Amino acid sequence: MLTATFSIQDIWNELQPSPFKPNPNQEQAINHVSGPLYLTAGPGSGKTRVLLWRTLNLLVCHGVKPEEIFLSTFTEKAAKQLRDGLQSLLGLATNKTGQPYDIARMYVGTVHSLCQQLITDRRICQSILRPVTPALMDSLGQYFYASDRHFWDSAIAAVDLGDNANEVITNYFKGRASQSRHAAVVECISLFNRFSEECLKPAEIRERTDDAVLKGLIDLYAYYKQSLGLDGRTPKVDFSLLQQQALETLNHSSEAGHVFKHVIIDEYQDTNSIQEKLFFKLAAGYKNICVVGDDDQALYRFRGATVENFVQFPERVRVELGVEARQIPLNTNYRSRKHIVDFYTDFIGRKNWQRPNGEGHYRVVDKDIQAHSTDHHPAVVASTPAPPTVVTTEIATLVRQLLAEGKVSDPNQIAFLFPSLKSAQVSRMREALEAEGLQVYAPRAGRFLEVEESIAVFGLFLTIFGRPEQGVYKGDYADFQTWLDDCLQDAKGRLEKDVNLATYIGDCQDEIETVLSDYQVLTRTANKHGWVLDESYTPKIMQQALAASFGLSEKARKSIANSYMNQLAQQRINENNPFTLRYIINRATSLDWSILDLFYRLCAFSPFKPWFDLAERGEDEGPICNLGLVTQYLSRFIDGNSPVLTAGFLSDNKFLNTFFMRFIYSLYRLGESEFENAEDPFPKGRIPFLTIHQSKGLEFPVVVLGNPRKDPKVQPIEQIIRPLIDREGEPLDRMAEFDVMRMFYVALSRAENLLVLAHYRSQGNFISEPFKTMLSAKDFPRIPQFDLSQLPAAEEKEQDIARAYSYTSDYLLYQKCPRQYMLFRKYGFVASRSQTQMFGNIVHQTIEDLHHLLMIRRAQA
Amino acid sequence: MTEQEIESAIAEMFEQNYELLQAEGGHSLTQDTKRAALQQVLLYWRKMRDVAERVTETEVKLTLPEQQTPKGRKYSIHGVVDIVQEDERTVMYDIKTHDAEYVESNISDYEKQLNIYAHIWQNLRGHPLDQTAIIATAYPKEVKQALNAEDDVALEAALDQWEPLVNIPFDQQHVDDVISDFGDVVDAIEDRQFTPPSATHLGRQYKTKGRERRFATQICSNCDGRFSCSSYRAYTQSNRGSDASFNRYFREFDSTDQEEWLSANLEADLEA
Repeated sequence: MLTATFSIQDIWNELQPSPFKPNPNQEQAINHVSGPLYLTAGPGSGKTRVLLWRTLNLLVCHGVKPEEIFLSTFTEKAAKQLRDGLQSLLGLATNKTGQPYDIARMYVGTVHSLCQQLITDRRICQSILRPVTPALMDSLGQYFYASDRHFWDSAIAAVDLGDNANEVITNYFKGRASQSRHAAVVECISLFNRFSEECLKPAEIRERTDDAVLKGLIDLYAYYKQSLGLDGRTPKVDFSLLQQQALETLNHSSEAGHVFKHVIIDEYQDTNSIQEKLFFKLAAGYKNICVVGDDDQALYRFRGATVENFVQFPERVRVELGVEARQIPLNTNYRSRKHIVDFYTDFIGRKNWQRPNGEGHYRVVDKDIQAHSTDHHPAVVASTPAPPTVVTTEIATLVRQLLAEGKVSDPNQIAFLFPSLKSAQVSRMREALEAEGLQVYAPRAGRFLEVEESIAVFGLFLTIFGRPEQGVYKGDYADFQTWLDDCLQDAKGRLEKDVNLATYIGDCQDEIETVLSDYQVLTRTANKHGWVLDESYTPKIMQQALAASFGLSEKARKSIANSYMNQLAQQRINENNPFTLRYIINRATSLDWSILDLFYRLCAFSPFKPWFDLAERGEDEGPICNLGLVTQYLSRFIDGNSPVLTAGFLSDNKFLNTFFMRFIYSLYRLGESEFENAEDPFPKGRIPFLTIHQSKGLEFPVVVLGNPRKDPKVQPIEQIIRPLIDREGEPLDRMAEFDVMRMFYVALSRAENLLVLAHYRSQGNFISEPFKTMLSAKDFPRIPQFDLSQLPAAEEKEQDIARAYSYTSDYLLYQKCPRQYMLFRKYGFVASRSQTQMFGNIVHQTIEDLHHLLMIRRAQA
Repeated sequence: MTEQEIESAIAEMFEQNYELLQAEGGHSLTQDTKRAALQQVLLYWRKMRDVAERVTETEVKLTLPEQQTPKGRKYSIHGVVDIVQEDERTVMYDIKTHDAEYVESNISDYEKQLNIYAHIWQNLRGHPLDQTAIIATAYPKEVKQALNAEDDVALEAALDQWEPLVNIPFDQQHVDDVISDFGDVVDAIEDRQFTPPSATHLGRQYKTKGRERRFATQICSNCDGRFSCSSYRAYTQSNRGSDASFNRYFREFDSTDQEEWLSANLEADLEA
């Protein structure tokens, strides 16, 4: 509570050894607590701290309750950072004020997670007896849903897209017809998501086009939405429709504008239309909407983001809320040396951003970004303009020097950024670094399935379960077949070298053969007696005959003869809920292990075990991260199927087809990428190769822009969608160029001490404008002449926001076993069997509910 | 609400939580385990009703803010407790699904935890606690036997005998020790030091549920990471005869666990 003797400054001073000292603009932003606030925040301008302190100010000095704040971030990582920081600082505040704060019910998270919360918030949907929580499909889930053969066939049969719908669809998007269901589904999903994000109603937009194919696609979207049962009791939603459901909920509520006193949105330049609607709806009552962002760093048009939300925020506030927004620029850059800041500021200014007829600009101009650093030494350096082999060697040598001279303490402090990791420059650069003995970590460089960890795991899986049959196909399918062969080949080499592994794999194969044979034996016995598998299992009649089947393994015989099971079966008959014969046979002919169990057992062998050992010692996290991801995918398969591998499932290639040809093949085609850790993105010991998109929000002592070339290209979806929406956006003929400028701006502004540019110049290799012009300056610093002695060493980052550690799930767990902590808490391994943990969770949760119930009852009494 | 209504409310909340957890984690409990979990909550209500009805704050989030590790990293410590506050008296409870005997035999671990929670609470609220205690909700074997036998008289007697409440005395020394130790752990985690306990440690005995168990049996045998773990391998090799082949040690599945796993995961009404 606000008292005469206590203010937010008191907490700033509490922070020891370094009290928080905001600059004047930061301080104004923190103290602005009433009316719309428009924070234009340049790179490295301390916006996270401003958000943190402003929220704290609201809670501690202005009596705003945690549940009255809606704070949306772009990533879960950012949300966690804010939550951790708030919890810690609120603890300090409590020590001062004696007032406890519990932010458990505060809205801090990504838009998606907040939408899930909104849909069931009692303050918004009071009228509904029990709010329905829709089941959320993530993008992989959405793909599996839409590409399911049964769904897709009925969907295209229901609309008018002709007999070869897949060809019509792919031709419409790509100008090249393909029969592939996969290709058609992928295109449709991105269009559907865009429709949802623009809040387009099928019936309305159908009238806005004469294009028969587009009409067909709109009908397909309507069919898809219909199929999800959005009005029913068990709706399914994808990420885009989740937001639509949330908006619907708000539209039906009279309270929507009065639930949150403060609506705060980070990374506002990357929000889309539906999100803007949501935020203005929530802010309608109190009009306290604070947006933070930088239009120059807008990156997500391909996900439906419209940078205009940010650039035109003041006008939108005027129209929607009828008030003026206060604009405060956060323009002091604390991240980069002066030369770097000057370079990227010059860069972005070299494009003409003017609207036609002099009606302002397509960007927020006059940001006046200033470096806090006064170090005037060169900090941006280009390679010699030369063919790729020369450029990459020069850069690799520089990297080696930076490490040798201690300018960075770990290779993970040097980031290589690329517009895309699929270009030839990426592999050239990688080879050059590897030739210097340096290791690269490249999430998204290729398919996750193609990293050596995946190949090792799936090669052994293929050896155990068998290889799916091969047909003659082209394209993706042929590539996938090659991948299967490569995996098998890899496994073959390992078995030859490791006799223990070979024995183990042989045992697994034997077990599979045994259950398959047992299954045949048992079904034969059933047939002989005229029993069908779906009839009730009657132990008195069936047990002996089954157990005595000729050729049955000892293990299956024991299972059939198990007295506990037979008692249970009898009991179920008495309860009129008998087991089927099929169940009893399945039970007797199941493998002891799931695919996750198998994975963990394979980890006893090389190369897996050495990978674990590397991580234990904190030497190289790359492989362990990818193995953790393997467990997540395996667990996902188990969730969608069953952990138990029955002989019924293993027979007739059912398992092979479901696992390899549907699940793994889909991952392969979607190009699912490598592990990305939410908290510490980049493994120690390796040089990260990142897309510029991945580098959003990050900073590195050294950044190498590995390919300063990107040809502007408008995506087909922009052209498709433009006639259907009534909003005026950036002109189609300029939008792609703008986007390229913004993307490179993000890349350049990640660097702290040194920014290195690859300057390709040879037949077919060049760099984009305005780099070309900028680098043509006569005195532009070049690597061969660059004086490393002027370069400061990377400082140990002062981590200014406290991380939250739990006594039980961090401290105790680590003390029990650091290695177990590493696997399951640090690298996201999924445990194969989790009875104990689930037991504890459910007991605790229910006791908490009981306490709540009793407290409410007492309050009513 | 009548007794009966509360018990059916518990069953309903339990079922909802189960569905939620199942949807989140994709894992299931066997019928027996699930029943035992519900039973644990119901017996908590029967046995600890006096406390449950007086709880004034449940799942209170405790934070020890702005700590610094020896290497200068900032962190905060978090915990969750229940509080009973009436008149001038305040009691802090930490509910554990362990059994009281286990708690008693590992009392120093619990002392550290509750002492630091008490320390945080007293800092936050500015007045001392009158008592701190663990409520160990795992019921003893006498209760289990009576339940299995459906013997109400025996159950009544067993419940009377059962003492789930373990008082924890306060000691400031514990607090200082833990805070210092906690900082070291944070540094170790951030520095990626994840070496497992030694093979010798794996052989150490612990007392739980009326019997001695080894670390390797209690902890490792439930850990999927054991197969790739050097300590576990060394432990197994030193505890086996020379005839044990390399492959065999990790191929064994406990047969009881295996039956339970099948029961939980193989749908009885499975379609082909």
